[in-house]
Amino acid sequence: MIKFKHVSKSFGAIHALGDISFEVGKGEFVYITGPSGAGKTTILNLIIKEYRPDSGEIDFDGADITKLSEKQIPGYRQKIGVVFQDYKLLGERTVRENVEVALAVAGIPEEAWMARVNQVLKLVGLQDRAELFPNQLSGGEIQRASLARALVVNPKLILADEPTGNLDWDTADAIMELLDKINKEGKTVIMATHNVMIVDKFKKRNIKIKAGKIVSKEKLNEQEKTVPHPAPADATAMVGKETSRGKETSKEEVKEGKIEEKKKIKVKVEEV
Amino acid sequence: MSNIHTKTAFEAIKRSPFQAFSAILVLSLTFFVGTMLAVIVYSSNNLLKYFETRPQVIAFLKNEAKPEEVSALQNKLIMDSRVKDVKYVSKEEALAIYKKATSDNPLLSELVSPDIFPASLEFSLKNLSFAQEIINEVKKEPIVEQVGFTASLGGEATLNDVVSRLRTVSLYVRVGGGVLVGLLAGASFFVLVVIISMRMATRKGEIEILDLIGATPRFIRSPIILEAEIYAAVGVFVGWVTAFLFWLYAAPNIIKYFGEIPVMPTRMLDFLLLFMIILGGEIVIGSLLSLLGSMLAISRARKTR
Repeated sequence: MIKFKHVSKSFGAIHALGDISFEVGKGEFVYITGPSGAGKTTILNLIIKEYRPDSGEIDFDGADITKLSEKQIPGYRQKIGVVFQDYKLLGERTVRENVEVALAVAGIPEEAWMARVNQVLKLVGLQDRAELFPNQLSGGEIQRASLARALVVNPKLILADEPTGNLDWDTADAIMELLDKINKEGKTVIMATHNVMIVDKFKKRNIKIKAGKIVSKEKLNEQEKTVPHPAPADATAMVGKETSRGKETSKEEVKEGKIEEKKKIKVKVEEV
Repeated sequence: MSNIHTKTAFEAIKRSPFQAFSAILVLSLTFFVGTMLAVIVYSSNNLLKYFETRPQVIAFLKNEAKPEEVSALQNKLIMDSRVKDVKYVSKEEALAIYKKATSDNPLLSELVSPDIFPASLEFSLKNLSFAQEIINEVKKEPIVEQVGFTASLGGEATLNDVVSRLRTVSLYVRVGGGVLVGLLAGASFFVLVVIISMRMATRKGEIEILDLIGATPRFIRSPIILEAEIYAAVGVFVGWVTAFLFWLYAAPNIIKYFGEIPVMPTRMLDFLLLFMIILGGEIVIGSLLSLLGSMLAISRARKTR
């Protein structure tokens, strides 16, 4: 689905990426890991054509996106759902409106909005937060709102830039559960992270980069050791159900304020 | 999808009411002056047309002129392509006109008889530029005693004077008014550019996000252009309504003052039609003004990104 061929990118004297090549297949879940400043976000920005590479080729579904014209960029970006590191939610719009904007941008008729928005908000566990503004949400809720906006247009590819970056373990775990389920529905997911615990727990193919160079990458078709729970046909069906790996958060825990995020999305998480 | 743009535009207006107010105020003033000027130009046109088309030339006939000679001259004038509306006024009719003109002083008319009034041929011209040559030609006719202009028997000098004065006034109204409206329209345009630029600056973050999630330039532009169009629509409406109410109030007195000169429509339907035509023109101008202003502001904002 995505193929980087000898891609380099510099910002003035700083070489963000140097001659990197890798491939991500359709339906894969791939981590891009590395320390801060390694070039993870640059790779994602190159995929969404926020940046243009200095050299090399980036193929998306067989077409070289570096050759896209300015007019073609919006249509290309609509095929990709992005969860930004800094969320990039519209502060003066409610959660529902933020998700609706993505539908409006994609040119989906308004009649279809309500059902799709409700479905995706239910999936990320924000159905009761739909009318709140981003500044009224917790960090985890904002991250999930960003994920809902990325998912609502049913993109081929999900890019997640440090989606667990500022979150506590429980919330990060819940977000990862969601991304995992979305991937198992057939979506390709590329996630940039430096969270080793997440990478260790949710085994996926990992492309490690350091100082703009790939230092190790597993092969494209290498069998990943994924978490051993079955994927549902519809991820929304998972909401509120117990998984093989965890148990439902107890009401007592919520009342005690221990795992508030878990109550909000009703996703079962593994005890830590 | 249009709803989301409309909502965004109205939210932007609500967020910065003073910017919206200043834009609407300037636009209202422009279109108020525009409407006033349009009516003044219409009235001055009518005034000029009235003087240009009314019977302007009177050829007073000699007493000894025979009916067949008068008839021959009348036919000659009718056949002349420069002349229109030729009318023969007999001595009796001339007396009747005199009596009507002096009706407020009956003594004056009692002292006169038809014999002292000459018969005449009255006619108007299709174009006043023919006036001099026609007058000169008619003067040479043997049955013609004197040729004059209706405003005065002084002749050609008076004719030129009246018409040229009217034309000068009309030109001043058009040029002066046009310059004033042009300046106001320019001010409105730049106020719109400034306000839309400010709006672009405050929405910079939002625009960047929309751009990243795949919004087309048209999607991003739409609420901004819509906002400018709202300002223009309200400005046109307020300016037009204010001017309309003014003319509605003033029209009876103006019509009465000018008497038979149709400077303004006397029928309500015609009056409304005149203002509807002006409103239509102003909507087009306002729409173009806001469209160009917002496009300029957007293109400048994109360049600075």
